[in-house]
Amino acid sequence: MDGEVAARLNVLARRRMLPYILISPLVVFIGALSFYPTIATTVQAFFRVTPLDPPARFAGLQNFRDLFANPVIRASWVNTAVYAAIGVVLSVVLGTVIAVALKQRFRLRGIVLALVVLPWALPAVVEAVIWNWMYDPNFGVINSALHSLHLIGSYAVWLGVHRWLTIALIEIVQVWQITPLSALIILAALQSIPPGLYEAARVDGAGPWQAFRHISLPLLRPAIAVAAVQALVLSLNIFDQVYVLNGNAPLGSSVMLQTYITTFQNLNFGQGYALSLLVTLATALLSMATLALLYRRAEPAA
Amino acid sequence: MRPSRLPGRRALTFTFATALLVSGAACASGGGSGSSGGAQSITVAMHYPSPPKAILNEFQKQTGIKVNWVEIGWDDLQTKIAAAASSNSYFADATDVDWSKVGEYAKTGWFLPMGKWFSASSLKQDMPQLGTFMTHGELVGMPFDASFIVTTVNSKDFQKAGVSGVPSTLSEFSAALNKVRTHGMSSPLDIHFAAAEGLSTCWYQMTAAFGGQVLDSAGNPQFTSASSPGAKALTWMVNAYKSGLVPKGNINIPDYTGFTTEMAKNRVAAVLCDYSGSVGSIYDVPKSSSVVGQVRYVPTPGVSGPGANIANPDGIGIPKAARNPDAAAKFIKWFTSTDNQATWAGLKGPGDVIEGFPLPARLSSLDLLAKSGKLAQASELATLLREHARAPFPEGAPPWYAQFSNAVYTNIHQAAAGQETTQQAVKNIASQASQLKASG
Repeated sequence: MDGEVAARLNVLARRRMLPYILISPLVVFIGALSFYPTIATTVQAFFRVTPLDPPARFAGLQNFRDLFANPVIRASWVNTAVYAAIGVVLSVVLGTVIAVALKQRFRLRGIVLALVVLPWALPAVVEAVIWNWMYDPNFGVINSALHSLHLIGSYAVWLGVHRWLTIALIEIVQVWQITPLSALIILAALQSIPPGLYEAARVDGAGPWQAFRHISLPLLRPAIAVAAVQALVLSLNIFDQVYVLNGNAPLGSSVMLQTYITTFQNLNFGQGYALSLLVTLATALLSMATLALLYRRAEPAA
Repeated sequence: MRPSRLPGRRALTFTFATALLVSGAACASGGGSGSSGGAQSITVAMHYPSPPKAILNEFQKQTGIKVNWVEIGWDDLQTKIAAAASSNSYFADATDVDWSKVGEYAKTGWFLPMGKWFSASSLKQDMPQLGTFMTHGELVGMPFDASFIVTTVNSKDFQKAGVSGVPSTLSEFSAALNKVRTHGMSSPLDIHFAAAEGLSTCWYQMTAAFGGQVLDSAGNPQFTSASSPGAKALTWMVNAYKSGLVPKGNINIPDYTGFTTEMAKNRVAAVLCDYSGSVGSIYDVPKSSSVVGQVRYVPTPGVSGPGANIANPDGIGIPKAARNPDAAAKFIKWFTSTDNQATWAGLKGPGDVIEGFPLPARLSSLDLLAKSGKLAQASELATLLREHARAPFPEGAPPWYAQFSNAVYTNIHQAAAGQETTQQAVKNIASQASQLKASG
């Protein structure tokens, strides 16, 4: 009898352990590639670490003070905030518009859907190179088109001259890439709304706009929250587009580009760690705030 | 629902790189270098395409060393070198030593001194740019090309505009360009103005043309006074841009290809900071150029006569974590030999050329090319290399060069874009140089 109980307990224990055994490789993988570097980065952010002046020495908050004293890095934070604001708003608004359009049944819908997804599937560097040609001040298609339409008298230099114009044009490339994912997330949510709700609204005399405003939008809020967070994370980490379109110029530079320059060009690893720690914190806090604002408010409505 | 953290790809890349730096974890070897059963193999990581496989096989037959050549873009390569060396990880047995990194590598000890395998004194005469890779008497890398900054002009455009002879001073050069302007080419001069290394190098070149240098041997800025060659050069460059002599678009053309395309497509008539080798490898190539046979190297116009040409050669060295340093040294000796240097530049025909290879590092190789007639204007280039090419920093680039260069190109770019005055640009660069020097 005792042996039978023991055997059952053993089976139960093994069953209870099974999930842990199954997820352990993932935990080890994430721990080695994410948690350990994050902890190490956090610690090293408080040290002066540079191969040009070894060994590493405890520096307290000096790395952070130096970063905030640097006008180029301060400007890059402002630029990144603008990238994030434009990126989130435009990608969510355009994503919603595209999703609503794609929900309709029309011929070649599958092809249109594939074309919409294409910018998301291409690497950011490739897209930035394509847009670089379009913006080219000497033979770019944008100059050519505007000149042909007599909207500009001579070819214009689009990037690297005016700060906000440069940021806006770089962000267009980013929005071009991240909007398809927002559209797909919102489209998936849109398709899951029961058609009966729209039918009832129509019977009650609601028009398409009212139906969208009072049925679709409230029910889409969780999806919009997810789309907004992905746009926010990608915009806060913008690097490839800035680097390809604007090089190392401080005008339009992003925090991630400054992290790269600080760490790998200037070899100031301590400041690089501090900067990446700040980006990680900003990303986490803003993502949580966005979700809290959009997702949780959506729960009662849902 | 609890929000999840979704780090971006770039953030993950940085985190991973950080992990490597902090922990000293081994990088992926990527090449499997080592020796097994008597056969040795080495990994060579460069930003140039590989030499033809048949020639590498020949090297393997001669020495028993198998070469695994990995081509990586210049920027990525510098990042990999820094990440691997900081974590003391193996990355390659031989890799790029850029002229601008010599001081940094000497200070960090990331590369093995080459004195064990190469005698600088015996090589110096044949390799005029060897000094660029020496600091405090130590050879950090071996030059494998002789890239230096040159001036090129489209002689057909100049003749059409009525310019006779070669302008040898900056005032003659400006007058010639203004004549070209009156003959229909509105912005005939190509100069880098994007915030990139090419702009810094061009300023060193122009400073040399004005008869000076940017830093003295102790690293002190030499351009703080308005009458200094450095300040004059900066003002001259910015004025050339603002007056429309330089195409407006140059403010944002960061890459070499975009830059040289202007000349190749005949949208400009002169390039002030061009690369040695551009005529043969770009302007005289019919499929990509509309100025074949028209572009010539000319001595750099200076204040009162031809000025110097700033050398920016590429070198090859052995990282401290190399697994097979002796085999790597054998390879470097072979790779930089007189015959092979001439081969990479086209002595044995286009099939054996390394694509984009500017010029051989050895004068003896240039002589071979000049005799064979296989390199455009080889004798002019040999003269420029022998008599005018000089290192931008005679004592070797300082360890803080990357930050200095960043300040240089950022401020000149901003001055040209109208975001600051030339005086402010000079002041900012000087202030950064002084700070960097003070912090060592």
